[in-house]
Amino acid sequence: MNYVPGTASLIDDIDKKHLVLLRDGRTLIGYLRSIDQFANLVFHQTVERIHVGKKFGDIPRGIFIVRGENVVLLGEMDVDKPCDTILQQVSIEEILEEQRLQQQAKQETEKVKLQVLKDRGLSVPKADNLDEY
Amino acid sequence: FQSLDDDCTLEEEDDGLIDEEDEIDQFNDDTFGAGAIDDWQEEHKRLAELDERDGLGAHPTAVHVRASVQHRFPAPFPERLSPNTLLNMANSPLCRGPFPPRVGPVLSQLQRAQLLNSQGPGPPLLAGAGFRPFFGGPPPPHGHRMGPPPPHGPPNHTPPIRHNTTHLHPQHRRMLTQRMQSRRDPYSNLMSQKEKEWVTKIQMMQLQSTDPYLDDYYYQNYYEKMEKRQEKERDSSRKEHTTKLITPQVAKVEHTYRPQFAGSLGKLTVSSVNNPRKMIDAVVTTRSDDEQEKREKQVWNKRRQVLYTVEKMFSLLLEVQDFEKRFVQTPEEDRDALLEQHKSNTEQLSNSLQDGDWEDRVSDEQCVMIMSVRKGKRLVARLLPFLPAAQAAAVVMAIARNLPAIAKKDKQDQQALCCLVEPVSAVIQSLSSSALTDLLQELQGGEGQLAAALQNKQFGVTLLFLILSEGERMQSSDPNCQLMDDNRTELVFSVTRELLGVPSSSLAPPLFTPPNLLSLFSRYVDRQRLELLQDKLISASSR
Repeated sequence: MNYVPGTASLIDDIDKKHLVLLRDGRTLIGYLRSIDQFANLVFHQTVERIHVGKKFGDIPRGIFIVRGENVVLLGEMDVDKPCDTILQQVSIEEILEEQRLQQQAKQETEKVKLQVLKDRGLSVPKADNLDEY
Repeated sequence: FQSLDDDCTLEEEDDGLIDEEDEIDQFNDDTFGAGAIDDWQEEHKRLAELDERDGLGAHPTAVHVRASVQHRFPAPFPERLSPNTLLNMANSPLCRGPFPPRVGPVLSQLQRAQLLNSQGPGPPLLAGAGFRPFFGGPPPPHGHRMGPPPPHGPPNHTPPIRHNTTHLHPQHRRMLTQRMQSRRDPYSNLMSQKEKEWVTKIQMMQLQSTDPYLDDYYYQNYYEKMEKRQEKERDSSRKEHTTKLITPQVAKVEHTYRPQFAGSLGKLTVSSVNNPRKMIDAVVTTRSDDEQEKREKQVWNKRRQVLYTVEKMFSLLLEVQDFEKRFVQTPEEDRDALLEQHKSNTEQLSNSLQDGDWEDRVSDEQCVMIMSVRKGKRLVARLLPFLPAAQAAAVVMAIARNLPAIAKKDKQDQQALCCLVEPVSAVIQSLSSSALTDLLQELQGGEGQLAAALQNKQFGVTLLFLILSEGERMQSSDPNCQLMDDNRTELVFSVTRELLGVPSSSLAPPLFTPPNLLSLFSRYVDRQRLELLQDKLISASSR
């Protein structure tokens, strides 16, 4: 039932399973229980899903309250649809280990890049903290 | 009606809990699926007869008993109660409907079907919580159906209609089964209907506005389309086209609270949202013991001031830009006032860039400050078309004069200067020949300034090329023009010298190379140098 004809609302999404992507890059999956006018969300039986390559791992988190401004995407999940067969679920320890390795690799490449640039006399422009525009 | 206590053994209850799913599926099937019964009333009669004869054992699946809650209360093993049971116990007193307990289960089935099919605004899930049928094992041989069915549906309840959902859209069916399943969710409806309405109300409030600049585009469009559709449906003899949007005026309610106490003298001060009373005397103390900190703060303050100026100018600029749109919309009477305002806005804008009392001179310091911020550059780019010609020329001169400083800051801003190319080129094309020469002079400035300008800056190179090409264009179009004076020749010579001097590798690719540059250079240099220049240009633009 359309509570707000002519515009969109999250009311119809309540009590349904959702996937939300946050600004810090985390992916949460849970049942949306409550909302408010700022789109702050209350998730129930939340699971944080970490993806590394083709593997993923779920960390159960319980109840989550997400401040509306930190939401990038939010979408309903179809409970009937089968889980992706390409992705492979692994244990929590394994996925955390994979994530750590990925972070490490990224840091290494960044360091190398910075060094190369320095050698050529160029510098990556640091975001000027004073200039917000 | 006999109490169910004695009859409800542990096994029965146990069975009831485990076989729930099967029962529900069966129920679904019977109500909506292949085994759906069409003629309820017939079925009811049949069952009633059967019932009286041999108890409900004969049809364990077709009819389901819902025990009244009172009989359920002294449950033998409370911990075995599922959350749903608990919920039902809690909700049941609320669910008593206007129907007498005598009403049989067939009616309740009908009502269940209705509730499931209804699209009412009421909380179908809420109804569901108290509505779940109980499937407590094989019913007692005495076969009493009890309990009032919970007709806790929406108030616009129509009298029992036959519902056969076999012909429903599969999507719809899925939705219905989902609703059935979600009723088992013990955490559903944490958000009450009131709360949902509250959020909706806030959303709707945000949509109401009378200012066309604040309106929600999609909302307005939706209603406009709807109105048009409705108009079409109406008879076409009435051709009243309402293009003006009619929005209801939101009444401003007076929220005044005037406290009154007996014996008080005069008006009592009331602090409210609109006039808050100062509660704490908070004093700001700055500890500036560190010199560097002080300096940093000064820089920060200056920066803030620049940003503030930029913001103010931007709001003026936006008003100026919107002027045309607004002008068309305002009625005749108000147009003069709008025009006046527009004039004052433009004046203010041009004044903010000015240096002291001189009409056409732009303050260098101010200009550099503004250009040091990325947003400032965008501001100037948007502002140039609106400035009077002389002022615009002065601004461009100032940019050229201070190009090295500006360009250095631009490195951090990821080449935001490039947004200036278009408006600047427009200004250049409108310059007179002498002004053009002056501009070229400014660009050259002191020693090595041009070289520096040419090096890493796309903008610098482009600017130079623009000036030169404009000069060339002027010259070629009007052979009698005064461009060939010494001043200019000298300048162009030095420019070409610089260009030759600068190694090709460090010459940044310009944003575009005007085609008539070569003809310009051909006037001033010999063949050799010309070829060199040509190569340079090609290599620069190809990178």
